[in-house]
Amino acid sequence: MRALRKAIGAVEGKAAGSACFLGKRGNRVRPQTLDEAFEAEKARLEALQDDPLFAAHLEMLEDPMLREAVDAALAEGLSPADAVRSAERSITAMFEEIEDDYLRARADDVRDLCRGLLERLGGVARDGAAELPEAAVLVGEEFFPSDTTGLDYHCVRAFVAARGSATSHVAVIARAKGIPALFGVDTEGIREGDRLLVDGDAGTLIIGPTEEEERDFLQETPGPAPCTPLLRPDGSRVKIFGNAGSLPEIDAAMAAGAEGIGLFRTEFLYLASDRFPTEEEQWETYRQAVLHCKGKPLTIRLLDMGADKQPAYWKRPAEENPFLGLRGIRLALAHPKILSVQIRAILRAAAEGPVKILIPMVTDVEELREVKKMIRSCGGVVPTGIMVETPAAVLNAPELAAEADFFSIGTNDLAQYIQVADRNNPQVAAFCDPAAPAVRRAIEMTADAARNAGIPFSVCGEMASGKDAQAYLAGLGVESLSLSSPDQIRARSSAVRSS
Amino acid sequence: MIKKNLLFKAPNGLHARPAGELVKTVKSFEGTTVTLSTAAKSVKASGILSVLSLGVKAGTELEITADGDREQEALDAVVSLLESISE
Repeated sequence: MRALRKAIGAVEGKAAGSACFLGKRGNRVRPQTLDEAFEAEKARLEALQDDPLFAAHLEMLEDPMLREAVDAALAEGLSPADAVRSAERSITAMFEEIEDDYLRARADDVRDLCRGLLERLGGVARDGAAELPEAAVLVGEEFFPSDTTGLDYHCVRAFVAARGSATSHVAVIARAKGIPALFGVDTEGIREGDRLLVDGDAGTLIIGPTEEEERDFLQETPGPAPCTPLLRPDGSRVKIFGNAGSLPEIDAAMAAGAEGIGLFRTEFLYLASDRFPTEEEQWETYRQAVLHCKGKPLTIRLLDMGADKQPAYWKRPAEENPFLGLRGIRLALAHPKILSVQIRAILRAAAEGPVKILIPMVTDVEELREVKKMIRSCGGVVPTGIMVETPAAVLNAPELAAEADFFSIGTNDLAQYIQVADRNNPQVAAFCDPAAPAVRRAIEMTADAARNAGIPFSVCGEMASGKDAQAYLAGLGVESLSLSSPDQIRARSSAVRSS
Repeated sequence: MIKKNLLFKAPNGLHARPAGELVKTVKSFEGTTVTLSTAAKSVKASGILSVLSLGVKAGTELEITADGDREQEALDAVVSLLESISE
């Protein structure tokens, strides 16, 4: 039965093959006790010590922190399996606060380890290589380092995962091996041996294609088409900016040829600290950020906390529905002292180069007025724009455009809020498509409002990196696209240079 | 208890491999506790998870303390290891 599924993230390339579930390959064994599971995983990892990745896994397994966290959960009355899950959550949470992609990705190593323990508790052993069909498309909930080692890559045509992202470990492996991968795909209903067409360029999966479809699919010319500069309807060129959440990310974007930083996230200053960062500390970071931009424009987004980002020292009542709660500028305006410290630090840094202020999660024009008032009362004058990432901001776009200096459309949150779908929930993630008609209409309404008011608008968020979406946004007159991946910045800016 | 400050310089940060070596070194000084601190956080250097969770990057200011029978030896070993990381 033919079905087409859409992915959230992808690694480029096209491949056809038969579905193969790695998760089912373990050997059934007697369910093990916690001590046995630790011992058995240790023995498995000791045999893999030539690989530095597994040397690190062994160190992690032997780190008393893991065992202590498990024991503490056991002492609270949890079952061994729940205790492992609880330890996994507390340790990965610690990693996820780190503002460094590499170090943050270590959370996957912890998950991998814990899954090995859980499988053994449930009576599955992970050792033993998988027998793969000749052209296998590996399908699974999520792939971990332990899954991708020891595979016969002559047989692997593609990865298809219900979870994970284009920056996960398996994405790195797929890119290195030159095979496509899809993430955030609904894998429900796929059976072992099903014929699959994986299109990492379009981010789609076809299950059970017709013969004709498969023939056409493979005949289409592979390889990415060369980039050409993006032009707006008036003939001017769309600028390519970078997104950054730390100083090294600014450096990476600028080195890739970015014409500035269109979105500098400041949450790391708050999350990496055990107290509110002082004005001096923030000033120093923003000043460095300006200097690292070497005279190119830097757009600093005011703190966007709340929802899933909450430092331990900022004690706030629990919210049942934090994504509809006190977050973004609402939270910042509820704490004017915290916000004014940040604004003063930004204004001081603005003495070093071109700086703009961007307000997150705006819903109402009053929020923009309050922030502008605060900027004036701190004695500063800098261009101040808003993130358009809520349905309310789209509907209020004409009023907002009259008072904002620029718009920046955050397509990730906007798509989630317009489509009422959590993109991290694989059951509904497909709804969260920035190309969905309602989201496009929202983007077009925002673009119209900006054009009528004569202010520029830019787009940050994953949508800005898709080729079709870029052409579409250029057609709407977008001033700049702010991209996260240095590779994409490089590809786009090389088109600029060669033009 | 003795301590020393150090500016971490390795371009890739304190990633898994050197962190593993650091932990091995620290464990070899039984009876001595080594602590690593950044401006944000302080952890015992005897476990790789805690060391990695510090998120040490190029340019991070570190304070290393050692406490115990062989504190001087342990501190010297840890400092020289951290300074020798180049990858």
